Amino acid sequence: MSEPLLELDRVELRYGPVPAVRDLSFAVGKGEIVGLIGPNGAGKSTTLHGVMAVLPLHAGTIRFDGASLRGFPPERVASAGIALVPEGRRIFGGFTVDENLRLGLAARRQGDAAGAIREVFELFPILEEYRERPAGALSGGQQQQLAIGRALVAAPRLLLLDEPSLGLAPTVVDAVFAALAAIRERGLTVLLVEQRAHRTVAFADRTYVLANGELRATLTPADAENTEKLLSAYLR
Amino acid sequence: MRRIEPVVALLGPVVLVAIVGVLAATASRANEIYFLSAIVAVAMVASIYVFVGNSGVLSFGQISFVAVGAFAAGVLTVPGQSKSFVLPDLFPFLRDHTVGNIVSLGIAAVAGAILAALVGLPLMRLSGLAAGIATFAVLEVTHNLLREWTRIGPGATTLSLVPETTGALQATLGTIVVLTIVWLYGRSRPGRLLRATREDSAAAQAVGVGVHRQRLLAFTLSGALCGFAGGLYVHMLGSITTEQVYLELTFLTLAMLVVGGLTSLWGAVVGALTISGLDSLLAKAEAGTFLWDAPSGTRLVVVGAVMALVLVLRPSGITGGRELTLPRRSS
Amino acid sequence: MIVATLDAQTLVDAVGLGAIYALMAVGIGLVFGVLRLVNFAYGQLVMAGAYTLAFTADWPAVASIAACFAVVITLSLVLERSVFRPLRTQSPAVMLVTTFAVAFLLQSVALVIDVRDGTIGEPAGSIGGLNRAVSVLGVDVRRVTIVAVVVAVIALGLLALLLARTTIGLHMRAAATDFRTARLLGVRADRVIGFAVVLSGVLAAIVAVILTVQSPLVAPDFALKETIVVLVGVVVGGIDRLWTATLGGFAIGFTSGVINGVLPTDKTVFLPSAVFALVILVLLLRPAGLFGRAPAAERV
Repeated sequence: MSEPLLELDRVELRYGPVPAVRDLSFAVGKGEIVGLIGPNGAGKSTTLHGVMAVLPLHAGTIRFDGASLRGFPPERVASAGIALVPEGRRIFGGFTVDENLRLGLAARRQGDAAGAIREVFELFPILEEYRERPAGALSGGQQQQLAIGRALVAAPRLLLLDEPSLGLAPTVVDAVFAALAAIRERGLTVLLVEQRAHRTVAFADRTYVLANGELRATLTPADAENTEKLLSAYLR
Repeated sequence: MRRIEPVVALLGPVVLVAIVGVLAATASRANEIYFLSAIVAVAMVASIYVFVGNSGVLSFGQISFVAVGAFAAGVLTVPGQSKSFVLPDLFPFLRDHTVGNIVSLGIAAVAGAILAALVGLPLMRLSGLAAGIATFAVLEVTHNLLREWTRIGPGATTLSLVPETTGALQATLGTIVVLTIVWLYGRSRPGRLLRATREDSAAAQAVGVGVHRQRLLAFTLSGALCGFAGGLYVHMLGSITTEQVYLELTFLTLAMLVVGGLTSLWGAVVGALTISGLDSLLAKAEAGTFLWDAPSGTRLVVVGAVMALVLVLRPSGITGGRELTLPRRSS
Repeated sequence: MIVATLDAQTLVDAVGLGAIYALMAVGIGLVFGVLRLVNFAYGQLVMAGAYTLAFTADWPAVASIAACFAVVITLSLVLERSVFRPLRTQSPAVMLVTTFAVAFLLQSVALVIDVRDGTIGEPAGSIGGLNRAVSVLGVDVRRVTIVAVVVAVIALGLLALLLARTTIGLHMRAAATDFRTARLLGVRADRVIGFAVVLSGVLAAIVAVILTVQSPLVAPDFALKETIVVLVGVVVGGIDRLWTATLGGFAIGFTSGVINGVLPTDKTVFLPSAVFALVILVLLLRPAGLFGRAPAAERV
């Protein structure tokens, strides 16, 4: 891989005195979709939080486009070009869909905000229809679209997704992955954390398996049908 | 060696208080009041700690119980003949009875306990900001009633002629009693149950700890001890006004607790002695009798500044919220 | 028997008092929204403004008021940097006591400064003309009451517009709802907090100007009682949303004004007990405030 867009080098993240992620090293190349799977409590969300500087870096380095992210507050990581679609979506229910999208503009570098929002509406037409409605009135799947749209509006170079299919019905999950495929078409780099191991392994260019805060295995789409390999990676 | 450790947590404070007590007994008449104030402050702050420190619920109302105790002990010990002159509107049972020193302290404790139980019964369901404001409201109501209702006390005037029975011995012994009770409660089962709710009240409830009941118990105990401390206070001053047991004392005692360390008895004692000591030194400086002549008002400025500084730089307090322990042997 | 005289005069004065308390409530609510911190020292900001007006009493009125604004806003920002910022991760108990400590500290500093000329209290009669009454529909209304209400309506209206229509307003609302997610979207924490603090200071300065007209003698405990009452009103109304906090502030001001005006003086001595007993009752029934909701999202 040429110069990676995101590089984690021996990263350690802690909650208080307890290490949640230990000695984690991996990279995401430009234009790649990389998956991060593993059992509950493996440290997947923690890793994303570490990248976004929500959690302080206890050891190691995180580099974005060659430059270290050490010491950046979350808003600075966002304006550097990384957007997070948080677990549980965390949209602002009392605000309108339009206001939620405009919030996403906070991290945007240059102008043409209107153009950015238009692009999101092309990707997710339902959001344009519900533009002036309170975001809390949307269904789970629609809120997920809003959360992704909100992240895209900032024109990020790297998109982080934390369990986008969580709590959604199977048909809605299809829609979410379809949207991700469309995003992939636009050349955006994606790091996808998911519980649905099978689907993620089949979809991503490369999938890392995290368990107990450590990197256990690397899987490719070819391994998607290999249940034995999947299981052993989880349980080792 | 292990069995001694918890006792050290009590002995440390007791020894400190005893030392200050000796200083009080041997000091000049002018300086005696400073040492006595420090000891009584320890009693007050420890009484506040037993509830606030163990439950994690911030209460602005504990000084109400000090007030009630002080006025109860005061009114009942003013000599009979003077009382009907000075306090003509008193209820008959207050006017016609006069009690001795120790009894007044007991009544002070009971008065504090009763008020605390009454108030605590509804209030212990609250926490956080609501608890803070509600207990503050209790302080305001108590202050207002004591100040305006001349049938229970002197109202807005000073209650004087109270026998000054709190000398070095009474202050020290009384405070040691308070410290022991607080320490015993902390080691008891209710004490541990309450501390469990402090850490995580949802989890504690889930395992069956009656949060409301434990808080009420500690709150009532705190009320009793605060009342007792109020009795010590009024017998130290020989007089009392409602303003002396209101906002400034509330702030001072709470700040002493937080500066010393909110979650330990050692913190309460260290905080009380440190701030009292500082306050006394500055009071003497203001009066021109210690080292240098400070303009009046610097006392509160420095105390306020020190408190704000400690809280910003070391929010867990001087003691870090831990009890006094023996130094660990390294193997 | 209590002779109740609820006349137009009392109502007007009560509305004026409610307006002033509403302004203070917003000042407290704005800072709470973004910092989750109850600023006990808010009254001291008003006091600082009042002292500035007193010490510049012989300047032209406009300059004096400008100085007042400058001092209060600067002091607010200094407090934010030196006290509020380090405290952001602490428990509510520590935060409460520390702002309380700062309040006492500022009050004591004011005392030291004030007492140099031998007396406590400085007169600030720069716009004394406003204290005179004007007859409106047969009711004697002090001009300052009209000014208070008009200023409050304008200020609150402008603030509402700012919050609803501007980008910084959107960011502030988001920060007050879910600061962590807002930051993840790129909302700058220091900018939002600074803005809220400055706005809060502007409101405190406005209150200082209005209050010094009504009570021209400035002492170190200026606005202390008002702050306590407003705080109580804000918590009773519901501190975690701006409009409920404002409503609570207005309500407690208006109610105090009405009760004070209706009850004859000898009966009003127990007024504080009645009001605070009511406060306890409300909090027992609705701990999040009369109009409040369950606890808001977690802060970072």
